[in-house]
Amino acid sequence: MIRDVLGAAAVEVEVAPPETVKGVFDALLREHGRPLAEKICDPNTGELTPFPIRLNDEIISSILDGDRPIESGDEVTIISPVGGGC
Amino acid sequence: MAAAFKYGGYVGQLLRVDLTKKGVTREPLREDWASDFVGGVGYSARLLYDELKPKIDPLGPDNKLIFMTGPTCGTMIPSGSRGSVCGKSPLTNSFFHSIFGGYWAPELKFAGYDGLVLEGRSERPVYLWIDDGRVEIRDAAHLWGKGTLETEEIIRKELSDEEVQVATIGEAGEDGTPYAMILVGIRAAGRGGLGAVMGSKGVKAIAVRGTGGVPVPNMLRAYNTSMKLNEVLFANAGVKGLLEYGTARNTGPLNAAGILPTRNWQTEVFAGVEGVTGETMKEQVVKANRACFGCTINCTKYSVVSSGPYKSVINGPDYETVFGFGSMCGVGDIKAICKADEICDEYGLDLMSASCTVAWAMECFEKGILTLKDTDGIDLRFGNAEAMLAVTEKIGKREGIGALLAKGTREASRIVGKGSERFAVHVKGLELAGHTPRPFASAAVGYATGPRGGSHHDARTTAEKMGISDRKVLEDKGVLAAEVNHFLIFNDSVILCHLAETVWGPVGITENAVEALNAVTGWNLDVQEGRKIAERQWNMIRCFSAREGFTRKDDQLPPRMTEDPIPEGPMKGAVMPRETLERLKNDYYSYRGWDLETGNPTRAKLEELGLEFAAKDVC
Repeated sequence: MIRDVLGAAAVEVEVAPPETVKGVFDALLREHGRPLAEKICDPNTGELTPFPIRLNDEIISSILDGDRPIESGDEVTIISPVGGGC
Repeated sequence: MAAAFKYGGYVGQLLRVDLTKKGVTREPLREDWASDFVGGVGYSARLLYDELKPKIDPLGPDNKLIFMTGPTCGTMIPSGSRGSVCGKSPLTNSFFHSIFGGYWAPELKFAGYDGLVLEGRSERPVYLWIDDGRVEIRDAAHLWGKGTLETEEIIRKELSDEEVQVATIGEAGEDGTPYAMILVGIRAAGRGGLGAVMGSKGVKAIAVRGTGGVPVPNMLRAYNTSMKLNEVLFANAGVKGLLEYGTARNTGPLNAAGILPTRNWQTEVFAGVEGVTGETMKEQVVKANRACFGCTINCTKYSVVSSGPYKSVINGPDYETVFGFGSMCGVGDIKAICKADEICDEYGLDLMSASCTVAWAMECFEKGILTLKDTDGIDLRFGNAEAMLAVTEKIGKREGIGALLAKGTREASRIVGKGSERFAVHVKGLELAGHTPRPFASAAVGYATGPRGGSHHDARTTAEKMGISDRKVLEDKGVLAAEVNHFLIFNDSVILCHLAETVWGPVGITENAVEALNAVTGWNLDVQEGRKIAERQWNMIRCFSAREGFTRKDDQLPPRMTEDPIPEGPMKGAVMPRETLERLKNDYYSYRGWDLETGNPTRAKLEELGLEFAAKDVC
């Protein structure tokens, strides 16, 4: 569970410029290191794996929308990698 | 035993049982069909195209039911030991395939058969006992009318062997319910009513015990490939979630993304989601993990509700059960969902079609189209778990309102009328799975053109949902839908589990999937050659549908998807207008080299794929 790695269901993140969605994940990975990387990064490339993200009230993509700007107070929710069901 | 087959991964023999004449024959597997269509669904589609006459009654003696394995079945390849059941569906009136896990398929192979063909019809109920080379057609009068689990238990006792693997139908299959399933140990061949086809042949169950093996040309290659693929599986985040929560891992994330079908698709945000998430399920009901043969994922959950009105013991629930009996019926209680799952297992009902039909009836009730008089006094409102369970039980018994709902959403809405067809959510008669096409164009055109209709195993939302493909760009979605088809049908012929789709797919033919097939067969296919096989398989199935009379006009989505935008949440406003869908269909047919007017494969395409024999039927 990602929230077990973060230590809480929601955390506040300080993002250095440029303030983007990717910046949020860079900050989180700096703080939580390998345990978080194992959950959200490709083990071969170290890049984010594809997963949906909720940015306030919009669904965006971890790999397509990393350069989306964010502002103070924005909420970024990691939605677990989801596939089809059975 | 069969003579050694040319390729590894196959035992080289089909078993054919004529139930009318009570005859059992063995025939060699065709080498040309194995190399052109592999196994599983691909091989079955080729065989059924040859042997079924067009327009036959799916529940008549002319239909055939094929249980088929693939070359990885019974080997060490992870998630590769599934089986397929194919035939003409009583729900959709065309080719249908349903895939199952568990242990039955490798057992059939160990008994010396790549597949089993059932044909004709027995006047009296029977069950088959396949014990390596010995095959018996046994009387099943004492089993007829019994539930699936009791049937399994009685057969194991009769045969004095706890290791026997049993595929069985329940009362729904015996009665011809068009969405009756076949329970196969811890899993099921759920969709499309192939349990009713089995019942129409008078076959209650098929018990199998095998002591042989599966030959592979190079054991070290097979071993090393299996180990490597296991490492890939373990490193995959999507697969890790399956071990922890099963497929119900999806429930919370889909709701957070605003794409959890709710109250018969009136919305896609479920206020009661906390009661049905994977986490809640794990905390409240899951007691153990279970795995299919040779699979390291362990996605099946063994769940127990030990007391109270929802007392039940099941293998599940899977995401599709949680979506169907949970958010679709507005029920936010995982224990009630477990009970519904148990009822469906016992009667042998496809719980996806059953739950979606109940959700449609709930909307009818809330709109006043069905009244207490119609529902046998049941207050069939969304969120009423007791009402949901009561009508599900009635479906199993085909009693009262259950007799209507046992017909499925399409037929029930035709009978009820009064505008209820407007919110009957199905494609070609198959109720839509729990993956929305409204914001996802490739899934929309995939569902619409899918030979089975509303199956999430012909179309996937995964690539767009995860952001591998930008959902806001429409131009490439016809192509994406076709390449998702190829991933799915290729895997259904090898047969590799779709739940590890981020390893085997999720788009096109991957190195991983081809490597798994090559390792057991001794082939050296590349990805392009794999794609060609997949394209041939898909066109074969399309030819079957075309011969049955299906055309472009049948490739539609229900009005709820084309006219009703999602009303709330982060996907608010998403809808798939009919004009957009028609444009996507053009893109899809063009990419496939199909005729834009009819949606049928062209002669040139059939010749290119070696399917020219079908041209006389469809061109």
